[in-house]
Amino acid sequence: MIATNTLDERRPVEVLPGVASRRSLRSQRARQAAVPYLLIFPALAVYAVFTAYPVFRQFEISFFNWHIFPGASNPFVGWSNYTKIFHDPIVRTAARNSFLWVVTTVPVQIFLGLFAAAVLTDRLPGSIFWRAAVYIPVVTSYVVVSWVFSYLFASQGGAANAVLGFFTGHSESINWTAQTWTTNGVMWLLTIWKGVGWSFIIFLAALDAVPREQMESARIDGATERRVWRHVVIPELRPALTFVTVLLVIGAVQVFTQIYEITKGTGGPYNSTQTLMTYMYQNAFSFFAFGYAAALASLLAVVLFGFSWAEIRVLRQQDI
Amino acid sequence: MKATKRTTRRKYLVRATLLAGTGVMTTLTGITAVGVAPASASSSKVTLQFWNAYNTTDKEATTMQNVVLAKFEKQNPGIKVQSVVVPYADLEAKFIAAAAAGNPPALIRSDIAWVPSLAAEGVLLDLTKQKWAKSILGGALPGPLSTNLYNGNYYGVPDDTNTQVFFWNKADFAAASIAGPPTTLAEVWTDAAALTNKAKGQFGLGIDGTDVWNVAPYIWSNGGNFTNPSWTSTTGYINGSATEATLQDLVNLDKAGDIGSDFVGGSGSVSGETAFPKGEYAMYIDGPWAYPTYSAEKFTTPADYGMELMPSGPGGTVSTVGGEDLVIAKDVQNLPQVEKLATFLTGTYAQLQMANQGDLAAYKADAAAEVKQQPYLSIFVQQLLTARARPVAPGYSILDADFGAEMQEVLAGNLSVSNAMDTASQEANAALVANS
Repeated sequence: MIATNTLDERRPVEVLPGVASRRSLRSQRARQAAVPYLLIFPALAVYAVFTAYPVFRQFEISFFNWHIFPGASNPFVGWSNYTKIFHDPIVRTAARNSFLWVVTTVPVQIFLGLFAAAVLTDRLPGSIFWRAAVYIPVVTSYVVVSWVFSYLFASQGGAANAVLGFFTGHSESINWTAQTWTTNGVMWLLTIWKGVGWSFIIFLAALDAVPREQMESARIDGATERRVWRHVVIPELRPALTFVTVLLVIGAVQVFTQIYEITKGTGGPYNSTQTLMTYMYQNAFSFFAFGYAAALASLLAVVLFGFSWAEIRVLRQQDI
Repeated sequence: MKATKRTTRRKYLVRATLLAGTGVMTTLTGITAVGVAPASASSSKVTLQFWNAYNTTDKEATTMQNVVLAKFEKQNPGIKVQSVVVPYADLEAKFIAAAAAGNPPALIRSDIAWVPSLAAEGVLLDLTKQKWAKSILGGALPGPLSTNLYNGNYYGVPDDTNTQVFFWNKADFAAASIAGPPTTLAEVWTDAAALTNKAKGQFGLGIDGTDVWNVAPYIWSNGGNFTNPSWTSTTGYINGSATEATLQDLVNLDKAGDIGSDFVGGSGSVSGETAFPKGEYAMYIDGPWAYPTYSAEKFTTPADYGMELMPSGPGGTVSTVGGEDLVIAKDVQNLPQVEKLATFLTGTYAQLQMANQGDLAAYKADAAAEVKQQPYLSIFVQQLLTARARPVAPGYSILDADFGAEMQEVLAGNLSVSNAMDTASQEANAALVANS
């Protein structure tokens, strides 16, 4: 056998001295080294064209008074789009709202998803039905669900007011989606309702992977169910928790469809439900301020990157 | 063994290379195919896309497709026109995205308020020097024509025009023992209070939002305004005394519960067009499209409701010029065929057919014929004589959004009218300067 060479990289290339020249050996190794790069090339090319380039381009556009039509004159404006961000009161409102989306919807989705995954075990009668019931909202359309919530919380003829009226004993006509906090509340509720199933399914899979022996050992050693969860289950779920938290935070900061649909694209009332995403969209496609919208998008990207990096660091370091 | 393994590796390399190469080739082939499609199509029958936001709940969209465009296709056998109805809220963004991607529709029926900003973006074809457009522009009514102007050039031709007049529900007025409709703004305010019956869920006045389109007729008729005549500044206009006084009157009515839910908005709020025939809003302003809708519901004039000129104030009887313009993307394909379509849609046949659906003709030659054909349009034609265009400026959409949002703050009780309009003025001025 002169040489063995397969795609299994773990196996060393065996060369009998005097049979293969030094040159052919180098060329052989070079070809071997090229294989993985060649294999990842299609994916890398797609990533470069559809992700890396748009991000770079967006950053570039943020320094211009940009007109979207090819060939139009685009004056360079330096950092002015970025300085404008820090003087824009709507950006402050949008940043506050984006932060509130994270702190209101993410912990609740994690808690309810984990709770549902823990409760809806195989031992529960009808568990398949209940699992499907929890997951179904995930596969529904955000547009459709937003409209349904609009009707549920309509000021006249809405189910929410009817239920309130039933309990209070008099007719209620709360204009839910015309006031800042009730509008936000309706949209947070929608997001939680629709999102719980997603975290539930991740936690369900993660819980299945928790070694039963460890849990049983802890119980035999006298650990209460709470301690079993605290010291056995939760640490085992750490990768799933990191994954769910990071993606839910990114999703919460990027929230768009439900706000667009429920506030009819305005982020109203009086811009009080705008988030960075909806304000960016409004600037780009209602006001044609593409440079400013690109600056907002760049800011959003930095915020999201910072959020995700910090979360991953914290969750990896914590012994949860 | 040795040979087999080397062959395996080579095969892998070759296959990987072929795979990557095939991917690239497929992409390139796809791009090429997209690029050549129009050329091959043009050799036989040219298909034009006409994007619009015609109403699909009445006969407006079907009349355009089945009557007007059918006639055009019959006259032009080599051209097929697809009428693509896009929701109004999405039409502008969808068009600009398509134009930027180099794949615009042939013709777009644009809201008149969008034309200056689309022109400022450099998306639209300048029609000023287009021979075929000259006669069309020359025959247009001055109001609709002005909405196509940007930096001294015309970037569209008027498609239709409209304005809002004052509607009053006769049963509601009779129940409140009010003899006839108000003729002045002062009477509107007092009648609104008298016509409100909270026990019946009846409001004296309906206003469909806090945006310029819905509030401007009250402001203009009361002598107020939004900008200076050249649309470059709002200082002393949007926050001028006449404008603020009008807004304060409306805010007072709203606080007293005399204005329907659509003024504040929100899910479940009822539009004027829904509430008026039910008697829930006794008075409101609306356009000519309301008439065919109400006729279909057996709610008729003069038996059930009346249409009057906007009640006057110190500024006279002033309403808002509305309507749509036909615009063409700068790099449109098949321009000769598009010219034919635009010419046909602005011609007498199309104008009068669409007038039957409440779209007033935008051309001098058709005004008399459409009133003869549909007598109810005469009040709208009369109102158009004093109607005003909203600021024809690229920054208008920001002005409109700022004004509407500040008014919502006032209605929520967060700001006084004066403070809100000062803020709106500052924000709108910045937008008008930045987009000039």
